[in-house]
Amino acid sequence: MMHRRRFLTQTWNGIGALGLAGMLAEESTQASKATANPLTPQQPHLPGQAKHCIFLFMQGGVSQMDAFEHKPMLQQWHGKPIPGSPSVRGELQGRLSFPHVCVGSPFSFQQHGDSGRWFSELFPHMASQSDRMAFIHGIKTDNQNHGPSTYHVTTGSQFPGSPSVGSWIQYGLGTLNQNMPGYVVVQDPRGAPCNGAAVWANGYLPAVHQGTLLRDHGSPILNLQRPEGITLSQQREEFDAIRALNQRHAQARPIDTELEARIQAYELAFRMQQAAPEAVDLSAEPESMQKLYGLDRDETRGFGRQCLLARRMVERGVRFTLLVHGVQIGAHSWDDHSNVEAGMRKHSQEVDQPVSALLEDLHQRGLLEDTLVVWASEMGRTPFVNSPSLPKNPGREHNSYGLCMWMAGGRVRAGATAGETDPFSLRSVGEPIHIRDVHATILHLMGLEDERLTFQHAGRIRKLTDIGGHILHSLIA
Amino acid sequence: MKLSHALHDRLPTSMAWARLCVVSVLMVALVSGVQASQAWPYTAPAEISPPEISPSEGLSNGIDAFIVDALEKKGLKPSPRASKATLIRRVTFDLIGLPPTPEAVNAFVQDERAEAYGELVEKLLKDPRYGERWAKFWLDLARYADTAGYEGDPDLPHAWRYRDYVIDAFNEDKPYDLFIKEQIAGDEFAEIMGAGELPLVEPEKNVALTFLRLAPFTEPRGDETRHEMLSEMTSTVSSVFLGLTVGCAKCHDHKYDQIPTRDFYRMKAFFNTVQLMPPDRGDAYQIGGSLPAAFYREGEEAWAASRREEIQLQKKTFEALKQRLSARMQSEATTEDSEAPSESDLETWIDQENPSHLTAEEREKYHHLKHLNRFASQQLKRLEPRAMSLRHSFGPPYEPGVPVTHVMIRGEYDQPGDPVQAGFLSCLTGHEEAASIRLDPFKRWPTRSRRMALAEWIASPENPMTARVLVNRLWMHHFGRGLVSTPSDFGVLSGGPSHPELLDWLARQFIDEKWSIKAMHRLMVLSSTYQQASEPTHPNVMEQDPDNRLLSYYNRRRLEAEAVRDSILSVSGRLNPERHGLPIFPPLPDGIEERVKYSNSKWATTHGPEARKRSLYIYQQRTLTMPFLQAFDGLVCEDSMPRRALSVTPLQALEMYNGQLVEEEAPHFAARLRREAGDDPNQRLEHAFQVALARGPDAMEKETLLPFAQTDGGLERLARILMNLNEFVYID
Repeated sequence: MMHRRRFLTQTWNGIGALGLAGMLAEESTQASKATANPLTPQQPHLPGQAKHCIFLFMQGGVSQMDAFEHKPMLQQWHGKPIPGSPSVRGELQGRLSFPHVCVGSPFSFQQHGDSGRWFSELFPHMASQSDRMAFIHGIKTDNQNHGPSTYHVTTGSQFPGSPSVGSWIQYGLGTLNQNMPGYVVVQDPRGAPCNGAAVWANGYLPAVHQGTLLRDHGSPILNLQRPEGITLSQQREEFDAIRALNQRHAQARPIDTELEARIQAYELAFRMQQAAPEAVDLSAEPESMQKLYGLDRDETRGFGRQCLLARRMVERGVRFTLLVHGVQIGAHSWDDHSNVEAGMRKHSQEVDQPVSALLEDLHQRGLLEDTLVVWASEMGRTPFVNSPSLPKNPGREHNSYGLCMWMAGGRVRAGATAGETDPFSLRSVGEPIHIRDVHATILHLMGLEDERLTFQHAGRIRKLTDIGGHILHSLIA
Repeated sequence: MKLSHALHDRLPTSMAWARLCVVSVLMVALVSGVQASQAWPYTAPAEISPPEISPSEGLSNGIDAFIVDALEKKGLKPSPRASKATLIRRVTFDLIGLPPTPEAVNAFVQDERAEAYGELVEKLLKDPRYGERWAKFWLDLARYADTAGYEGDPDLPHAWRYRDYVIDAFNEDKPYDLFIKEQIAGDEFAEIMGAGELPLVEPEKNVALTFLRLAPFTEPRGDETRHEMLSEMTSTVSSVFLGLTVGCAKCHDHKYDQIPTRDFYRMKAFFNTVQLMPPDRGDAYQIGGSLPAAFYREGEEAWAASRREEIQLQKKTFEALKQRLSARMQSEATTEDSEAPSESDLETWIDQENPSHLTAEEREKYHHLKHLNRFASQQLKRLEPRAMSLRHSFGPPYEPGVPVTHVMIRGEYDQPGDPVQAGFLSCLTGHEEAASIRLDPFKRWPTRSRRMALAEWIASPENPMTARVLVNRLWMHHFGRGLVSTPSDFGVLSGGPSHPELLDWLARQFIDEKWSIKAMHRLMVLSSTYQQASEPTHPNVMEQDPDNRLLSYYNRRRLEAEAVRDSILSVSGRLNPERHGLPIFPPLPDGIEERVKYSNSKWATTHGPEARKRSLYIYQQRTLTMPFLQAFDGLVCEDSMPRRALSVTPLQALEMYNGQLVEEEAPHFAARLRREAGDDPNQRLEHAFQVALARGPDAMEKETLLPFAQTDGGLERLARILMNLNEFVYID
């Protein structure tokens, strides 16, 4: 049997043995002990970047040419098949090989702000924030079905099992408030997104990095309420007894720091019981603020509440807040295969004012410069409907080449644009921006370097962008 | 050969023979040189004996000789034996996943015979709860779930039968080589000698094949889905059985290990005649169909029949009640409407405040039956004698023959490169020849025996990986960390084993013991190494071996999620010991099941004893992990999970202190104490400690907790305190 060291030097020829040794040491810590507190704040790789991220995920596939991409040419082809696109391959080719007719946007567009950005009439509030935003057009994901593409945008891989963006960021940066979870999720009060909790899963990262789902009724975090009939002082009495016995137990076992960590975790849990309910108590917000977010109107109350919660999370040091709008299938998803006009009107009304209020409110509180806000969906939509002739209320199909996202806050270069789609908004002009490039850019804007934020899993050094993404420098101030 | 021929031609003398021999020797050296560069782990485990240690007292078996030898080289010594109370708690949790009863602890501590520990171990290995405990470790590897994941997260109605198959396999100590073959090639066991029809697959082997179908699955997209599906089988089979991350070579040559892309596709070619059954009618997500597999366990068919009847009856009762209430509603209606009321109208009528037209019981019964019926059709489906299985294609002229497998460039399904033939990993065989696949004598089924060829190669005593990988997994579960710390990756990134000779010795023992997993448990838990105390006694240990890789003391560790839940139920006396059967749906907090469900086929909350079966039986819904288990790092698998994380978070504290389960069980624990220990507070406290921690309280603990033991309300609080102690969830 070969000696281990010799084996290593013989088999690793060409690989920096020292670097690997470091990795192995890290791996052995991963394997042996739970880290005492993986949530303590970590130094970012890059100084001066955002400290918080709010990720707005629109489930279903937002129709970019009815929202942020003004395509007058599409109007001219309304009701006719798309003119020849010889080089179209893959998924789009599949769609185009079926009978299809173009659908011009039923909405009027106008330019806004100093940047002269086009917005459709559906987003008047967000349009007023246009000079804070940077847009990315024609983003490509690798799969046009909701399940895989939702995975792709939220975890960097179209297959299940990878950590979500928020998990990576918390893994890289730790948390700023030890009384609150560092990664919080507020889903649509009407239900869960496609793939459910996998959208905020930790994947192969340690479990502490999974998002904590805030509940929209009852206790915001599970188990914050004391058992029935137990007063706070009785609880303290029991916690003191637990601590006394635990300390005695730990003293006899000095080798394990984990036991001490668990004693601390009980104390933190005790504090969380007090801190967390206050953090989500929206009744503490003045009426004017509730109105700003649209809590006074039925259409906007749901997402308004989610956005207002997000701002309160940022104020309390929460690192990453994921807001999901829409449920996986049905009327509450942006998946408008038919009647895109009615659908878009409904969805946009639900989010337009709350999102605008969030940006304005963060700005007024001086929080926007430390907070990166990202607008995303799992895919874009096609400029056509698959149908031999124009239906009465046409919709749009899936388009994994047409995702449009925007970012604001932090070090985002306001008014900047990356990528461009063709006059039909079918796909990007030139080499498409891949979703991994957007992920690399998000990490950069959070002070993390894609190539350095790694985790060894299943024989590979894993990262959010898998094979590495190109940072979209034009979007960074 | 060319060289030797040339020499032979030119020098046909005796001298030539001498030279030829030299050349041959050189060539052999060259070849073996090639093999030598195929270093660990690609070469067979060495024939090795445990090192001689003197003095040899304190050594129980070969394991200890290797461990002590390595410790001595670092100037370290093993720790003394743990106390008997510690030991019985450790080994009981380890083998059956539950705490020992106070009676068992007492009997063992009193028993001073040398054989006492060995007998305890035998008893535990024969306990059928052993299979329930160890099945979970395999199910994690098999990425077991009861749903397919992705959009809609559709139900896999027959997956649970695989879970029961795994429980049985462990309890029966199914030889591991057979266990491998059944899961990879259960449909290819029967020898075909004649020309008649294809023999039926034994139900158990059909169920075993579920292993290959447990990956998440979504809306199929033709060739792309097939490529991804077979690639996943290739990767999972390789990492689970061979401990090699072959999947890394799908898109490019392995970055660290000697696995070229070609080898990935040569391995994938063994799966290329896999045939899924077309989806059932009504399968909106097109996850594919099942195959017949009769209930084969004793009493299982009768059980299934009675469950089916029960559900049918419940459906009928609900319909009858609905009709009765509808009729009553109609008779009360003022307008003449001959049509039966709609279900929602009926419900509005039923739910009216202060109804005079129906009793509270009727209303409650209506809602109860409605809840049950919502899930009835899915339950009936689960009770069909079928398996989530697959088979080989029947081949021409009925179904596709053996397709050509290509290397797929960058792993993309539509970028075929060179064609390859099914073959084993070249890092292990030293060559790239095609595997020989033994067809039936008539070559009637050219599509058959491909997976069996792979399974036989994996399950062969000559395979350098298989035995090593499995003994290492067992070692990890017993000692807290594998000899190779990445149990599904024996490649370069694993860093190699801490005790290479021990690993090889164990692998050979495993093969010599005819692949008996129980024999390996026995060897490991009977070693002195396993029986050590869990605190180091040696002063230099932190400098010499800070991570305790050399095992100079036992690695204390937290219980896994399932064991934490099972312990709570065990201590409260309410664990339902029923084995096998349909998935269970314990109540979830805050109605979260309603917020993630996609259809009526999901979390069918059950109350009462059924929901209190062991955690292993909990429905594994990929879009919903039970929050309690999740807090303790229990996850519903998406892909093969070789080991669990063990985190420490405040959410665990919230779950244990404020959570539903402990809140519900603490009063039952208290009632048990009253029942079993009477009124004396000292007795109650003593018994509470024995039940929860397998030991009595010391003076300080008595002083702190006695006040709680004096009143009934206090007893409940005492129960909660004990369940929240670190000691409750840590094993020394």
